[in-house]
Order: sequence, then C-alpha cells, then structure tokens
Amino acid sequence: MDAPSLKRAASAVVIGFGGLLWLAAILFMAQTAQNSEQFSRLHPWILMINVAGLVVLVGLLATKLGQLVRDWRGHVIGSRLKARMVWIFGVLATLPILLVYFFAVQFLNRGIDSWFNVEIRQSLDDALVLSRSALETRMREQLESTEAIADELSMVGGPTPGPLERLRRQAGALELIVSTESGAVIAVSKGPSSEVVPDEVPSEVLLQVRQGRPFVSLEPQAEGGYVVRTAVPLSGAASGRGRMVLQAIYPVAERLGALADTVQAAYQQFGEKDFLRKPLKASFILTLTVVLLLSLLAAWYGAIFTAQRLVQPIQDLVKGTRAVAQGDLDLRLPLTSHDEMGFLVHSFNDMTRRLRRAREDQQSAQQAAETERANLAIILARLSTGVVSLEPDLRVRTANRAASMILGEDLEGCVGNRFAEVGSADGLLRQFSEACRARIAAGDVEWREQFTFQGGMGRRVLMCACTPLPREDEAAGGYVLVFDDITVMLQAQREAAWGEVARRLAHEIKNPLTPIRLSAERMRHKLLPSMNEKDAQLLDRGTETIVQQVEAMKEMVNAFSEYARAPRFEMARVNLNQLLTEVTDLYRAQATGRGVALKVSLDPSLSSVSADPGRLRQLLHNLLTNAVEALEGQPGGEISVTTRLGARGAEEVAEITVEDNGPGFQRELIGQVFDPYVTTKARGTGLGLAIVRKIVEEHGGHVEADNRAQGGARVRIELPLNESMQGQAVQRDARRPEPRRERA
Amino acid sequence: MSNSNHTPGREWRRAPARRRVWLFCFLATLAVSAAQAATRVEVRDASIALDDGVYELDARLDLSVPGGARRAIDAGLTLRLNYQIEIGRVRRYLPDPEVASIVQSFELSYHALSQRYLVRNLNTGEQFDHGSLDAALERVAEVRGLPLIDSSLLEPGPTYEFRVRAEIDMRTAPDALNWLLFWTDDWSAISEWYAWTHRP
Repeated sequence: MDAPSLKRAASAVVIGFGGLLWLAAILFMAQTAQNSEQFSRLHPWILMINVAGLVVLVGLLATKLGQLVRDWRGHVIGSRLKARMVWIFGVLATLPILLVYFFAVQFLNRGIDSWFNVEIRQSLDDALVLSRSALETRMREQLESTEAIADELSMVGGPTPGPLERLRRQAGALELIVSTESGAVIAVSKGPSSEVVPDEVPSEVLLQVRQGRPFVSLEPQAEGGYVVRTAVPLSGAASGRGRMVLQAIYPVAERLGALADTVQAAYQQFGEKDFLRKPLKASFILTLTVVLLLSLLAAWYGAIFTAQRLVQPIQDLVKGTRAVAQGDLDLRLPLTSHDEMGFLVHSFNDMTRRLRRAREDQQSAQQAAETERANLAIILARLSTGVVSLEPDLRVRTANRAASMILGEDLEGCVGNRFAEVGSADGLLRQFSEACRARIAAGDVEWREQFTFQGGMGRRVLMCACTPLPREDEAAGGYVLVFDDITVMLQAQREAAWGEVARRLAHEIKNPLTPIRLSAERMRHKLLPSMNEKDAQLLDRGTETIVQQVEAMKEMVNAFSEYARAPRFEMARVNLNQLLTEVTDLYRAQATGRGVALKVSLDPSLSSVSADPGRLRQLLHNLLTNAVEALEGQPGGEISVTTRLGARGAEEVAEITVEDNGPGFQRELIGQVFDPYVTTKARGTGLGLAIVRKIVEEHGGHVEADNRAQGGARVRIELPLNESMQGQAVQRDARRPEPRRERA
Repeated sequence: MSNSNHTPGREWRRAPARRRVWLFCFLATLAVSAAQAATRVEVRDASIALDDGVYELDARLDLSVPGGARRAIDAGLTLRLNYQIEIGRVRRYLPDPEVASIVQSFELSYHALSQRYLVRNLNTGEQFDHGSLDAALERVAEVRGLPLIDSSLLEPGPTYEFRVRAEIDMRTAPDALNWLLFWTDDWSAISEWYAWTHRP
C-alpha cells in the first residue's frame, strides 16, 4: 500500500473512531441522565470527549477552510467549484440545523417555563399558607393548653407526678416534661405511645423560654406525621425551685398530617425544580448547543469532505487534460468510484491510452519516413544524376551534389532562391534554368528533353526530365528536374563509331592501295617507253597523281589506324618540364622560321608524372603543330607553353597550357574540337585534337579547349600526379581494345 | 509647553503595564470570590475513644456553605454529608491492608411547612429539626460517639491508621435532574483525609 493510501486509511480510522466515541458519549449522556451516580462519575469524561471532539472538529475545519482559501487565492484548479459546493452543502446543512436549534430552544424555554407557571407557584404558596394557618390554629390552641397546665401546676405547688399525669391526659398531650432552665428534667408524664426515655428539652427551646417567650413549633417526624412542640415558663416559687420550663408535645391528627405531608412534598418538589429552572434551561441549551455545534461542524466538515471527493475526479481530469495538452500521454487518473464520474475517468484514461498508441504509431511512421528520407538523401547525394526540386513558384527546394557538379556551380547553396536567378550569367546553370523555366512556363509540366549548352568548358549535352510533384489538393506541388550530363557518353559513342570507321577504312582501303600503286608504277614502267612524248607525259602525270593520291590515302589510313590503334603503354616517370623543353626545342627553329615566337614557362615545383613518354610527346607534337599551323602567315604570332602545379578537387595535377594568339576556335565548333574530323584547316585530318584528348584520357587526365579573351586559342591539360588515378585510367583503356580487335 | 520628560512612547509602554496590574487584580478578585463562593469542608479534628469494647469516633468539621447552596437548600434541594472512615493496618514493607471502612451519611433539608431544617441520619434513621440552617449545619458538622469497630477486631501490637474525610454533595429529589448540578459545581466539596495512628 502506498503512503497516500495509508494516510487515507489512518484518517478514516481516526475519524471513524472519533465519530463513534462522540456518538457513544452523546448516547451515554442521554442514558446516564437517568442514573445520577453513573452520571456524576462519567459526565466529566463525556463532556471532555464532546469538547475534545469539538476542538478536533474546529481544528480540522479550520485546516480545511484555510486550505480552501489558499487554493482559492492560488487559483488552484477546482477550488472555486469546491468552494461553491462546500457553501451550498454547508448552507443546506446549516439552515435545518439552525431551524431545529431555534425551535428547540424556544420549545425548551417555553416548555420549562410552562412547567413553572406562576399560577402553579401561587397555588402551592397558597396551599402552604393554608396548611400552615390550619396547623398554626391548632398550635396556638395547644400552646394555650400548655400555658393552662403551667398555671395549674403553679397553683398546686409544683410538678408533682399526680397532677402532671392528670393534666396531660386532660390536654391530650403525648408528653409533658418539666425541667430547669438549664435543661435538667424534674418531672415527666408520658403517654403510652411515647418513647420510654424522653428526649431532652432542646437548647433552642430552653433559650427562647429563658427569654420569657413561649415556644411552639410544628415538628415533622422521621417515621412520618407531625407533632407540636410547646414550651412555656413555669413558676417554681411555690415549690421553692425557681423558674422552670414546661414542655408539652401534642400529636397532630393523622389525616391532617398526611395532608400537610402532601402539601409539603409538592411544595418542596416544585421549589426544587423551580430553583433548578435556570440551570435546567441553561443545561439543556448548553447541551443542545454543544450537540448542535458538533453537528454543525461535522456537517461543514462533511460538506468539505464530500465536495473534495466530488471535485477530486474533476481536478484530476483538468490536470490530466492539461498534461495531455502538454503532450504527456502517460498520465493515468486514479479510478476512485464506479459511478458516472468513474466512467468519465475511465473514458479519459482510455482516450489517453488510444492517443498514446496513435502517437507511437505516428512516431514510428515518422521515424520510418525520416529513415527513408535520410536514405533518399544519401542516395541522391551519391547519385551521379542531378536532381533538383522546385517549389510551385519555381524556387529551388532541394538540389543534390551531382546537380552542382554537373552544372559547375553550387546549386545546393541556392535553396530558396528563384530558379531563374541562380548561377552566373551565360553560365551553364543559368542556361539550364532558363531552358527548364521556358518549358514549364509554356505549361509543359512533364517532359523529357536533351539540352545542348555552350559553356566555357565547351559543349555540354544534358538529358533532362521534368515531373510535377503531387499535392493533397492535387494542385501542382512543385517540380522535380532529373538530369544527366551525357556529353561524355555521346563522346564515347562517337569515339567508338569513329574507331570502327577507322578500322574499316584501315582494313578496306589500305589493302587495295598497294596494288593500285604497284599497278600504276607497272603501267608507267611498261607503257612509258613505248608511248609518244605527249602520251608519255599524260601517262607520267596520271601515274604520278595516282601514286601521290595513294600515298595521301595511305597516310590518311595510317592516321586512322593510329587513332584506332590499341594503346600500348610503357609507363615511366617522366619529367614533364624536361619533356616539354625537348619538344619545344624541336619546334623553336620551325616557329622562328615562320615568324612565330615560342615562349616556354615551366613551374620548377612540378614533379615528375607517371606517363608514357612517347604518347605525351605525340600529344605535345599535335598541340604545337596545330598552334604553328594556326599562326601560319600571321605576323607577330606567339605560342606560349606553360606548366603549373595545380589541383582538381583534392587531387594534385600537372597543368599544361598551350596558347596562341591566332584566330582561335570557331565559336560554333568549340564544343566539338576534340571530335574526329572536326577541323577548320584545309589539309588537316581532324584527328589531332581527338588524339590529344584520347591520350589525356588514357592518362586519367582532363583536357579543355577554349578561346582566350584577348584572342587566340587555348588548350589546357591536367594530368594527375597520383599514380593510382593514372593506373585506373590505363587499366580501363587497356581493357577497351580487346573487343575492338575481336570486331576487327 | 510641557516640561515633562515623559514621552508618548513611554506612555505607550506604561499603558500595558497598568493594564496588566488591573487584569491581575481582576483575576485575583475573581479567584477570591470563587474561593469564597465555593462550598468548603475540612476535618478540624478527629479522635477515637474506647467505650465498652467499641472504638467510637468523635469528629468535627469546618463547613462553609455559600449563599447559592443555602438558597438551593431553602428551595428544596437536599444536602448530603458523608463521613468516610477507613481503618487500615500499618505495615512497613507491605501494602497496608484495610481492616474496616464505614460511611456515615447525613441529609439536610428544609421543611417549608414547619419552616424547620431537618437533619436525618441515614445510618440510624434518626431525624432532628432545627430552626435555622446554621444550627442544622452545626449539627451535621459534629459527630460524637460514632461506633466504628469492635476492639477485638484490632490485634494488640500492630499500628492501625484511622482516616476520616467528609464529602458534601447536593442532591435533588428526582435523580434525573441531579446532573444539572454538574453545571453548578461549587455545591460539591470533599475534604482532605484526616489521619492518625493508634496502637491497641
């Protein structure tokens, strides 16, 4: 059992015991009022119990009322309802009690007063006076009789036994005693009903007679009835004894005595009760007041207790509601009863249990959704495809890392910005956003299209798909753009196609060239001597042309063969600066002869790279040849070759930049300059830059071609210094030729 | 302008002191009045005498009956006076055993018809009447020759303790109303024990 339950149980036991004790005291008080001995012994305890009960109740009530006032002032939940209920219960209990008390007091006052009605009192007084008068007449007569006896005794010479007995009988007295003034008995005459030993003459009788006054009194007897005691002075001069006292006791008639007893008893009882009237009323009222106070206090305490019991579930419900409003769904209200309030509490507990279960389900679903979202975010982050989601007003909602990488600008940092305003002007991102925005603005919300953009890094081909995002109200909830850079893929496809073409050319064209050339030379050798000069010249020019064209075709086929040839790498540590120096020295004389200045600027901090020196040499040859040919016939031509230690992301790279101040690339071809057979020269094969890019990619590098701002072309090559990157590229490219050979 | 150097603050301090003196006097007066108003009874002296082989008690009380009780008697209530006498053997190390216990009761009431105060010995049934309440009280306040115990019941040699006390109780004719006197408790009184020893 917990502490509050123990406290409640102890309080109930104490209150129950106190209540029973108090009830027993009240009942005992009522019962013991009939038994004075028990009452006088137990009444202090009974009163003490009642007063103690009163004090305890006052204390309890004061505590409860104080608590109620504090709750009221503190705006405690339910305090106002409780106060109202206490007030109503208290008033409902107080009014009848006060009414009963008022009428009980009135009844007591009037009832008790009516018992002691003035007329009764007067009647009793009159009866007493009447009785007393009747007896006094008798007493006076008997006093006179006693005085007559005294006179006669004086005349006969003193209290001698003979005359005394005769006089007693004549007077009808019970007893005659003659004594001295000090009380010494001189003579006695007693009737047969008198005691054998006569009583002494009482001192008060002697005192009064000594004062010369006769004494007469009515004396009630212990055994019932009355006697009249008379005493008169008796002269003793005749007998020589001095003054004496004659006492005579006369009987009162039995009938008269009985009547007198009745009157006396009635008068005494009435007087007694009349005397006790005020204390009687006070006692009744006091007892009634104590009982009333106890009842009243008990009623108020009961009102508070009942209100507390009734309000407690409401307070619990309010607290529970607040707790639920604050998110606490673990609260369980105590079920204190099985009535409607208990049903309400049970329903509340059931509701909170259901709410908690629903919240747990929701939390589980939310957690699952969060997990899914995190997984999706990870997938999107790792995805090589760019994904951008847009708000309905075309603001960037989300963007993954691949989108930023593909578009070359930080799109993740532009979340919340208008999609039309992101990216730099003429940048790839701006072109992309404008293209997408144009499609969406045209009302086309679900589409798939391949975009080709011209960026500073060349032509870029993006495959983009747009899908509207659904919403609950089925209005457009925004858009998601999924795009991929397929430039490389298209390039690879083209390269593969051109490689196939090259192999076929090498196979189909190169083989008949030698017989053609041999046939032309044989025809010239056989026919020339036998022909006239004119025909001979014709044949000579014809066969010469055939041989030259065959040679040209052979060179072209060799070039194709070289392009399509499987790479055979001989990787070694190459000092790039030294290699550049050697190659540029070869071209310096040629360039100078054509009026072109060749400037070389090498970064001494550039370390050696792992590469195939022959392929690199070919790469440089192609670039320098292109540059020299581009500057042919242009005065003030200048070629600049630069190396630099750079970085691409976290990788260190060696940068080789070859620039010239020639006409530069045609703008419309700038994205295709590395494609085979794309050339602006009259005699070029169009394979120079294609081979350059191939060699660079074989070494895991990166090549870009663009025009300088001040005019001229620029090709920039990045070769990784990290061998592992190179190794991966070499292995990838090394695997590539196998199917080509099979197909060949 | 007053040149007195007493200040209001000092006056303020004096006022409670003065009030305390008055309160003390008032309470003392109340206490004295209550003491005077209450019924008192004390055993002034008591002794035993051996008469014809029987120990007899002579005792005298100091009785003080206030006006309320006197008016109650005059109104018809009965005053009961009980003499409680106990005789016990005195032992040094063991509890004293009680040898005898006697209660002598008197009732004093007013007889309105005869205007006499009646004293009734409840043990013997004897009744005496007196013309005044004081004479009646005087009568019940003295006991002469009340036989207590036969001398043969007291062993010669050991010491015996005789104890006397008196109790006054006001009674009403119907016992049902007697509980009302609880509220006027000054009508009841009981004296201290008056004790002395005797060795036969």
